[in-house]
Amino acid sequence: MDIRSQISMVFHLDKCIGCHTCSIACKNIWTDRKGTEYMWWNNVETKPGTGFPTRWEDQDKYKGGWELVDGELKLKSTSKSKTITNIFHNPTMPTMDDYYEPWSYKYKDLFDAPAGDDQPTAKPISMVTGDYMDIEAGPNWDDDLSGSPIYAENDINLDVLSDEQRDQLFAIERLMMFYFPRICNHCVNPSCVASCPSGALYKRGEDGIVLLDQERCRAWRSCISACPYKKTYYNWNTGKSEKCILCFPRIETGQAPACFHSCVGRIRYLGVLLYDADKIEETAKHPDHELVDAQREMILDPFDENVIREAKKNGISESTLKAAQESPVYKFVKEWGIALPPHVEYRTLPMLFYVPPMLPVMSAQEGDSVRSINEEYFPDFDKARVPIKYLASMFGGGNESHLRYVLKKQSAIRAYRRALTVGDIDVLEAEKALVEADCNPEEADKIYKLTSLCTFEDRFVIPPSHREEAIEMMKDPLEHKQEVGFGFNDSPERGM
Amino acid sequence: MKNKYKILIPFVFLISGVVCQDVDQFFKQNCSSCHTIGGGRLTGPDLKNVHERKDDEWLKKFINDPVAIINSGDAYARQILDESRGIMMPKVGGLTPFIVQSLLDLIKEESAKEKSKYSGSSLADRVLTPEDIIIGRALFLGTTVLKNNGPSCIGCHSIFGEGQLGGGLLGPNLTDVYGRLGGKTALAAWLSSPASETMGPIYGKHPIDEKEVLPLVAFFKEKGKSNISEAGMHDFNFLIFGFVGLAIVLILFDLFWGNRLRSVRRKLVKGKAL
Ligand code: SF4
Ligand code: SF4
Repeated sequence: MDIRSQISMVFHLDKCIGCHTCSIACKNIWTDRKGTEYMWWNNVETKPGTGFPTRWEDQDKYKGGWELVDGELKLKSTSKSKTITNIFHNPTMPTMDDYYEPWSYKYKDLFDAPAGDDQPTAKPISMVTGDYMDIEAGPNWDDDLSGSPIYAENDINLDVLSDEQRDQLFAIERLMMFYFPRICNHCVNPSCVASCPSGALYKRGEDGIVLLDQERCRAWRSCISACPYKKTYYNWNTGKSEKCILCFPRIETGQAPACFHSCVGRIRYLGVLLYDADKIEETAKHPDHELVDAQREMILDPFDENVIREAKKNGISESTLKAAQESPVYKFVKEWGIALPPHVEYRTLPMLFYVPPMLPVMSAQEGDSVRSINEEYFPDFDKARVPIKYLASMFGGGNESHLRYVLKKQSAIRAYRRALTVGDIDVLEAEKALVEADCNPEEADKIYKLTSLCTFEDRFVIPPSHREEAIEMMKDPLEHKQEVGFGFNDSPERGM
Repeated sequence: MKNKYKILIPFVFLISGVVCQDVDQFFKQNCSSCHTIGGGRLTGPDLKNVHERKDDEWLKKFINDPVAIINSGDAYARQILDESRGIMMPKVGGLTPFIVQSLLDLIKEESAKEKSKYSGSSLADRVLTPEDIIIGRALFLGTTVLKNNGPSCIGCHSIFGEGQLGGGLLGPNLTDVYGRLGGKTALAAWLSSPASETMGPIYGKHPIDEKEVLPLVAFFKEKGKSNISEAGMHDFNFLIFGFVGLAIVLILFDLFWGNRLRSVRRKLVKGKAL
């Protein structure tokens, strides 16, 4: 066993209101410099929709992530030989148009325009070229545009649906959508790191944050094609790539990352997970539908004596272990099993997990109209407005059983809470339903509390960073002890 | 203190001696390609008694910067230009007031002689033969290397109908150079010591050998007979060649990177298959 600790995350999609506060918080701190205008380390997408960059989930095009070739894990975008042949031209780079051309407006015209019959307008100006431009797309162009025949229609996750299901989904009464906030997943098997010819990307030993060394980056942009989530970005001004750093300076000082801190819906949770690094490769090699389970398997129980002993042997400190035991992420992912990794079939083993959305599922079609389900404890998921297949394509590696499990548990808890607070449902019946959903009143209470009544301290359990120990991994802190300044050119001698 | 400078005196003489010898060399390298003294005109006029035609002041100015004087509209300078069929005297590199004065002195001195040593070489007296044309062509194309290791003409010049890709474009096209410079004698003189700013430094150290001059002249003469209007064809071929090359490169690119990622969003918006 090679136990490592990882700061990981849970996003509770039911709570996201799509306000983009998180994106703005991130932008204001990290990406308001020249060359980073188009980057959104945090972005929020509308689903069904094509996201940012457009249709990033289409790995036939973007070639991100890993694939299993004859039982071996291979990067889709590159290999040793391809690195050489493509070193000066990376053939799977998203174009600027697939992101969008960042722009501002010529506000001065609003003040300087001569008096006239019409209102003056501020023309859009490209932030890349400085010329006037026509705005054709933006980072969030299809915001709330579910049902759009262009963007929503082309959501690649809809490909798993039958034509009939598809048509129904776009029927006006059945339109549904939910928000999908995304940051770098700080994967355990990161394809960005694997692809970099310069070795500029690395996964921090102490907390698993994936970082990109600005001094080592040589602008080959391999990571940009290799990351299936398109979460590394190329800065055209500095000629270096950049990515989400999980606000490590904040984490090191005990604060939640800016997007977590500012989240209006309080959908974000952060905490430590322990995992067995010896199992990474084996885990990533499982067939698609087993991947969710395999990844969970890799995550270890922080209360297990054996795990604690091995972790300590590996230099994981007592305080980190304590944080792992209190981690909300551990609860969501492992204890309750209701948080799932996004597109686990890319095999990067993402360490950001999502609680899939309930709301659009809860109402189902009945005849021609849609009705909210409340008298039954479990809606007929096959008739639900979000087809379960669609969600499974996003969060289950295609395996619907995980989605059924999560949604069932969540609806049971709702029914149970309703029985307790509204009282129009029989409590005993609701408790029975809980058991049927692999839950119990005690657990339901905990889930309810952490979902609805959570405080800052509940949501963010940040371990003390122990930078002093982390530094020891790379260099001996006593290396320069007893040395004097830059040393001597000529050693001092007595006398003249 | 003063004694110190005395030491320098012999050096001063030595240097001026060197300069005297240099003027002779200088004339040969820079002037004799277009001028004789008492040998009749080549590309430029015969310089015999030139000091009687114009005063020193004017001559000095002209030697220093002929182009400027010609362009200033000076009547006499224009006349010379016309007589030289419009070929301008290039600005000569490495001139100092001292050298200019020495040159004038030299011309005066040589004009007085009955037979100056600068009255032109007898190089061009031989009759040109068909063999000369063949040898000249080989020299031009560089299939035969110039004896003193000077670069072959084709490196900088092109000539109608020669060389698969035409020649270099740095120097002028030489198809009609025979007529332009005024025939055999003048061209031979030029080739013996090409004096232009570009050719001078190159061929000064690696002069074209006496035996190579006439074959080249013969070759140029032969080429001069071709129809100039066809000369454009050559550039056209080059253009075609360029396009074909471009097409090949593009096809190769497409073979290598044909399945590269092209715009996703735009196609999607325009409703094209992704
Ligand atoms: S999500 Fe982050 S860690 Fe994972 S591959 Fe992309 S950039 Fe790398
Ligand atoms: S701030 Fe929170 S609620 Fe708002 S869009 Fe971001 S993740 Fe969703």
